[in-house]
Formats: sequence, structure tokens, C-alpha cells
Amino acid sequence: MNQPEELSNEFEQELTRAMRGVDPAEGFADRVMARAQAAVPVRAKVIWIPRRIRMWAGGAIAATLLAGVFFGEEAHLRHQREQAAQQQFELAMRITDRTLEHVQQQLSDAGVRFGH
Amino acid sequence: MAIADDEFRRLIETHQRMVFSIAMRVTGDPSTAEEVAQDVFLELHRSIERLANADHIRFWLRRVAVHRSTDALRRRAHRPEAAAEEWVEDHSLEDDAPISSTGLQARLDELLRALPEPMRVVVVLRYQEEMLPDEIARMLGKSAASVKSHLHHGLKLLRRKAAVTMKEYVREPA
Repeated sequence: MNQPEELSNEFEQELTRAMRGVDPAEGFADRVMARAQAAVPVRAKVIWIPRRIRMWAGGAIAATLLAGVFFGEEAHLRHQREQAAQQQFELAMRITDRTLEHVQQQLSDAGVRFGH
Repeated sequence: MAIADDEFRRLIETHQRMVFSIAMRVTGDPSTAEEVAQDVFLELHRSIERLANADHIRFWLRRVAVHRSTDALRRRAHRPEAAAEEWVEDHSLEDDAPISSTGLQARLDELLRALPEPMRVVVVLRYQEEMLPDEIARMLGKSAASVKSHLHHGLKLLRRKAAVTMKEYVREPA
């Protein structure tokens, strides 16, 4: 009969032999890869632009913005000047109309007849 | 930087047997083991940047496989260890009863499933992964004394169960 120590060793050896690795079902790596790829968030495509071009592009954008501000301001001032001129013209026309009406009235009072 | 697909596949193929075997023997269920093993590798995919080398990856996979397997076991409704305790109470045997090794392999997974979880984990790591008690203790964050105690009692229970299983096996044909 085996001694307890020998029996224990024998049992442990048997355990080690019996507990061999077990393979998962066929295609395990494919299934994990599919899940891993599905889990990766879709990232926006990044386009690399050379430093020099980025600097030129930055300068061009800044110049465009400055030009826009300048020409916008210019157009605004021009519009204001046009409006002021229009108002002055209308005022002059009203004064002229009144003056003409006044002169016409005085001539009419003096017995001068115009037209037919 | 994320790991390249072919490198990740190589890691899966290298370690899938180890991870699946731990999950299979701890959970005792092939479909749960498959799910656990997949989750472990997906976690590896997310954590690969923090792992320095092949040894670190192997150690990490073992540890995560054990933790995810015990988590899955705890989520399951039934508790085989409770039945195991009753089973042990009903069958008091001599510790050093002679055991034949014949037929043990066929019964082993069934016997392991009946072990309480902490003993099962330690037995799997000791005899499947051939880790030393100190290594198991470090991996599980337990004391070496606790691991040795689980190992000792786990083996004792397994031997008892194996002895009874073999007796039944021999008696049935007669």
C-alpha cells in the first residue's frame, strides 16, 4: 500500500497530467478579432499638411479675414455717405419746391398769368 | 498607439489555450468560458499599452482570466460549492484512502466544479498552470499561508471525492 506522502505525490502528478490545457472552439481568434474591431471607435481621418504649407495657409486665411474686414468697413462707410447725400438732395428738393410755390403765389397775386 | 491586428492575433493564438483553460475549469461551463476568454482578450486589447513585455502579458492574462472567471461564477444563479459541502458532509472518508488514478482524468472537471471557488482557483493555478504557491499568492493578492491552506484543503476534498467516485464506478458494474 502507498505511504500517504507517496500517494499525495502520485495524486498531484496525476492532477498535473489530467489538467492539460483545453483549446477553445475553432475560430476563437477570429471571433475576438471581430469584436475588437467592432469596438474600436471610428476616428476622423487626419490629413497631414507640411509645416510650410500650413504657415502659408494660415497667412492667407488671416489676410483674407483682414481684407474682408477692411472692405466691409469701406462698403459700410460708402453706404452711409450715399444715404447722407440722398437725404441732402431730398431736403434741397423740398426747399426748392417751397421757394417755387412762394414765387408762383407772389406772381399770381400780382396778376401775372402762366400757361393757357 | 494601438496594437497592430496581426500582432494582436498572434497574442490571442499564443495564449488562448491558457486563458480558455482557466476560464473553463473555474466556471465549469464551455459557453461561459468562451465569453470570459473573449472578454479577457478584449481587455488586453484596451490595456496593451500598459504591458511592458511578454512575461508581463502572460502574468496579466492569467490574473484577469481568474478574476473574470470568478466574477462570471458569482453571477451564475446556482452554487455548486454549496452542494459540494453537503456532499462532503454525507461521505466521511479516510484522508489516506487508496486512490486509483484510473478514470480520474475523465472525472476531474466534474470534481473540480464541486470544489468551493477559492480552492478551485488555487488548484487550477497550481496544477494546470504549474505555479508555485508563492506565485499564486502574489497574483491573487493573498498571503502564501492562505494559498497553501486552500491548496491543502482543495486537494484533500478532491482526493475524497475521487475515492468515492472510483468506488461508485467499481461498484456499479457488479
